[in-house]
Amino acid sequence: MRMCAHLLGEQKMGSQNTLGIFAVFVLLLYLSTAQSNDVEGRARQFFSSGHTNNWAVLVCTSRFWFNYRHVANTLSVYRSVKRLGIPDSHIVLMLADDMACNHRNPKPATVFSHKNMELNVYGDDVEVDYRGYEVTVENFLRVLTGRLPPSTPRSKRLLSDDHSNILIYLTGHGGNGFLKFQDSEEISNVELADAFEQMWQKRRYHELLFIIDTCQGASMYERFYSPNIMALASSQVGEDSLSHQPDLAIGVHLMDRYTFYLLEFLEDIHPSSQSNMNDLFKVCPKSQCVSTPGHRTDLFQRDPGSVLITDFFGSVRKVEITTATINLTAPAAPVPEEKEARLYTDERPSQTFSYVDQLPVAEIIHQKPKQKDWHPPDGFILGLWTLILLVFFKTYGVKHLKHIF
Amino acid sequence: MAAPLTLVLIVAVTIRAALFRSSLAEIISERVEVVSPLNAWKRVVEGLALLDLGVSPYSGDVFHETPLIIYLFHFVIDYVEIVYMLADCITAVALYLAVQHYNKNVFRKQKTTLEFDKYPHDCLELMRTPKEMFYIPLKVAMFYLWNPFTILSCVAKSTCGLNNAVIALFILSTIKGSALLSAIFLALATYQSIYPLTLFAPALIYLLQRQYIPVNFRNTRFWLLASQYAFMYFGSLLVIVCLSFFLLSSWDFIPSVYGFILSVPDLTPNIGLFWYFFAEMFEHFRLFFICVFQINVFFYSIPLSIKLKEHPVFLMFMQIAVISIFKSYPTVGDIALYMAFLPVWNHLYRFLRNIFLVCCVLLACSALFPVLWHLWIYAGSANSNFYYAITLLFNVAQILLVSDYFYAYLRREHHLKHGLYLKRKDGGEATLVLK
Repeated sequence: MRMCAHLLGEQKMGSQNTLGIFAVFVLLLYLSTAQSNDVEGRARQFFSSGHTNNWAVLVCTSRFWFNYRHVANTLSVYRSVKRLGIPDSHIVLMLADDMACNHRNPKPATVFSHKNMELNVYGDDVEVDYRGYEVTVENFLRVLTGRLPPSTPRSKRLLSDDHSNILIYLTGHGGNGFLKFQDSEEISNVELADAFEQMWQKRRYHELLFIIDTCQGASMYERFYSPNIMALASSQVGEDSLSHQPDLAIGVHLMDRYTFYLLEFLEDIHPSSQSNMNDLFKVCPKSQCVSTPGHRTDLFQRDPGSVLITDFFGSVRKVEITTATINLTAPAAPVPEEKEARLYTDERPSQTFSYVDQLPVAEIIHQKPKQKDWHPPDGFILGLWTLILLVFFKTYGVKHLKHIF
Repeated sequence: MAAPLTLVLIVAVTIRAALFRSSLAEIISERVEVVSPLNAWKRVVEGLALLDLGVSPYSGDVFHETPLIIYLFHFVIDYVEIVYMLADCITAVALYLAVQHYNKNVFRKQKTTLEFDKYPHDCLELMRTPKEMFYIPLKVAMFYLWNPFTILSCVAKSTCGLNNAVIALFILSTIKGSALLSAIFLALATYQSIYPLTLFAPALIYLLQRQYIPVNFRNTRFWLLASQYAFMYFGSLLVIVCLSFFLLSSWDFIPSVYGFILSVPDLTPNIGLFWYFFAEMFEHFRLFFICVFQINVFFYSIPLSIKLKEHPVFLMFMQIAVISIFKSYPTVGDIALYMAFLPVWNHLYRFLRNIFLVCCVLLACSALFPVLWHLWIYAGSANSNFYYAITLLFNVAQILLVSDYFYAYLRREHHLKHGLYLKRKDGGEATLVLK
């Protein structure tokens, strides 16, 4: 107030001075309020954009020894993902067959991805969550949607939330619109799209990267309609994905081409790498892969060039250090007292219960012997033997009749 | 020749008795190659137990035997092993006598043709001598009794042994010439499993031949005998079916037995061709393919009868072989029956082309059946395709065997008519090809 009187008093001194001081005042006011809201704002921003945790669901759907390469594919992606920081507790690994301990494996406890046994992707610390016959379409969909029975252990669950980035990798034998599980059932692209929509509606992912390495893999992502999904496939509809190289000592093809080159690309990625998705799209061009890899980004909100590889393949934790206290939750309401009293009243049973006798020995000891109480009807026996006699006499003559009578 | 036959019988009975007493009997009666849902002993016991509990044995899908089998086993359930050994012995003796009689006929016919000088002059080496034909009946009995397939089938107590006995008695009565008995045994065999119906044609042709009636559709005597035989056959079949009705006072057995054989609902793997195909068949096409497969069994009788109308016994052999390869639930017992006939065609050895291959394939497949079954069911490292491949190979080998004998037989007949060293029109050496 005094300032204004002074200003009014010296009107003739200069209105510019007045205006400048007024502006500085407003700025100081703004800055002070901004200062107190800065930490809260940044904390809010921490949780409202981007992801906070990473999950990976890696599935190999084929069994039998000659599908060694599918297991090797999955294990090499598992290896990369683990190396880049996603812990086993956040990886759901589903392998439909055990190649490392297969009778036909000349090098037991190993699964190789490069010929001449350069790289053992099985390693010492692989944790398979779904193995053998547990890898079914039903289990896969239940893992994705979270609708598992209450007794399922944590290692078999996908405990993602709406800030999770999930990498889903599928490999096996597929066709136009389906992926074959275990040689006996298949999952269609419509089912998969619906599962992802369920995940979106239940807020089970923030962003999803879907990679599939099968024949005609692009057909599997054609039907997706949920937001924030980016999809890559190793071949277009009508093309087959080919395998890379056989190892003559092991006797089977070790990897598929797409995943082989994907592995080579990922080996160059480290946790602080700034490579983005556009580099991933360039993995395995037609000259190396023979099939044409495809990708789909129309459902994805961000520009693929700004998405880091480690957003999906790695688990880069965002850490911001602050010394200010932040109030994140509203205080909880206290539990009313009368409810508590009712919880612990003990009820005495009105009658005593006992088990029914499981083995009624008394009845067994006095068991009556089984009696054959069916006899063929007399008419039948009569008819049958009359016929037999008639035939006998017809064939051998009536003169034998006197031997009977 | 009674003494060697008795010896053979005793040895066979001893082997079977020894196996019955050992622990192998359990294992063998579980094997799918030896028992099928139609003739497993387990199912007979189950059916009889159901009957004792007051329930029709045909309720549910467990029992597929005919009521006469119920009647038979109701009384001899405690002496089952003796019954099966007896059935095998009856089959062997019946085949022995039948082949003996047949050989006599063949030799007599050859003698008269030689006397009339009907054979070309260079066919001397194709003539059959009594010396070589002397041991054939014994060999037939031996081939049947000591065949591992028969032994397995007997030890597993599969009712296939009884079916074989009835068919052997039918062959005996046909060759001896008794139309009534042959019709009755054929009706019994057809009543048990439908497929011996195809043996009607060879039996008819044989009986016609015996009476020197040519197979000519304009001949009245042909139609007389044919209608007599058909009347006896269908009449006895009708009588037996009606009699079975009176056993349980219901017609339940018809869908359970004949419906089961014809519509093949049970797809347990066996050594036949039906199970794999129908396991993957869509429902929409199932009826069509059932009809195709079943017609396949019966269809060969028409062309074979036309070609082999002079040789009904060989036709009978071919028909039995075709039945045991193409029937809906074959077992190794069915195979043993037609293999018993192979010594009768010993003289065709020089014309057989693939016999080594066939023997090797049959031996290898018989050895591989249990191996691949184990790998598929127990070890889990194979799948049904492996077992089906061996089944296919086994049946292909059997077909090759039968067609090889067919070729050899026809070729010998051709040589007997046109001489051993065939010349083309321009004088060069000719070769015979089976088209």
